[in-house]
Amino acid sequence: MSELHASLLGSPILAIALTLAAYLGGVALFEKLGRPSWCPAVLIGALMTAASLWLLGYEYADYRRNVAWITLLLGPATVALAVPLYQQRQHIYTLWKPILCCLPLAAVLAAFYSVVIAWLLGASPVVLASLAPKSVTAPIAIGIYEQIGGSLSLMLGGLLITGVLTTIFVSLFARLLKITDKRILGFALGVNGHAIGIVRAFELGPTAGAFASLGMSLTGVFTAIFLPLVWRLLGL
Amino acid sequence: MKLLRGFLWLLGFQLLGHAVVELLSLPISHAMAGLLLLLAWLVAARRLNESVATASQALIPLLAMLIMPGVVGVFFIIEEFAGHWTAVMVALAVGTCLSVLTTLWLMRRFMPRETSSCDERGRQA
Repeated sequence: MSELHASLLGSPILAIALTLAAYLGGVALFEKLGRPSWCPAVLIGALMTAASLWLLGYEYADYRRNVAWITLLLGPATVALAVPLYQQRQHIYTLWKPILCCLPLAAVLAAFYSVVIAWLLGASPVVLASLAPKSVTAPIAIGIYEQIGGSLSLMLGGLLITGVLTTIFVSLFARLLKITDKRILGFALGVNGHAIGIVRAFELGPTAGAFASLGMSLTGVFTAIFLPLVWRLLGL
Repeated sequence: MKLLRGFLWLLGFQLLGHAVVELLSLPISHAMAGLLLLLAWLVAARRLNESVATASQALIPLLAMLIMPGVVGVFFIIEEFAGHWTAVMVALAVGTCLSVLTTLWLMRRFMPRETSSCDERGRQA
């Protein structure tokens, strides 16, 4: 019996099946809860996965090694993000001026504020590197992590929290500052809150959704280029 | 077959990205370089290859599932970063609050006025 247990845990198939089941379960529960923006489907799925790992006595490191057979797809899926970016070129051509004025600064500050605050609070270099890509969409952020280091899990956790906080702060400030322009709200959601911001933006309408996708893609590409460079120059 | 052909294109661009990054020792990931090269190719060719479109439509919805195993790790590092959680939470909360505010302010300052909007401060800079 324990041999069967060991051989099942040693097989990538179990790790992949577990991941797919937990993800689909997470999405189903997310729908059942009425798509709450404070609790993304991937977080519910991750919680379910963690619970099953614990129940099965499955070491996280072993699980990661086995599930790598499928997470290898992350590479080509990241390359595929060029397609939606290409399809949004019309928005970029017509609004290049505001985009050029806002995006680089907004993307730099999204990383800068949190890193400086964490640094002032005495966080270690590993924590700082994990926080820096917090507003970048996860596949691109993983690419940044490969360059600047940090803790992958801490980085992804920070990403989720940032996404959720962004939806809360954008709604709050939209009311306080009386901003109703769907393009501005969508863009702010995408630049700061990556994929979680996009989900919220599409609830505001298709225009907000399109601008959120644009903001997310541009922030991701820009940050992936500038952040490793800055990190290298600062000698971190 | 369209899906497979598109998938092969994506793998090809990732490999090309890999080669470029290693040869020039660029500080970006292989997949990111592949993304930029594919984007440059699409812009140069001025049209979207149908098989690449099919493969990207199939893969992009899977991204959330593909990052999930990494997210699971959060539940296993709680002790490892025991002394740091306050700093992490404060940095994320205050940092995100400030950056959302900055983005909204910048966009409102620079975005040309929406035709239907009556916000007088939405003027073009």
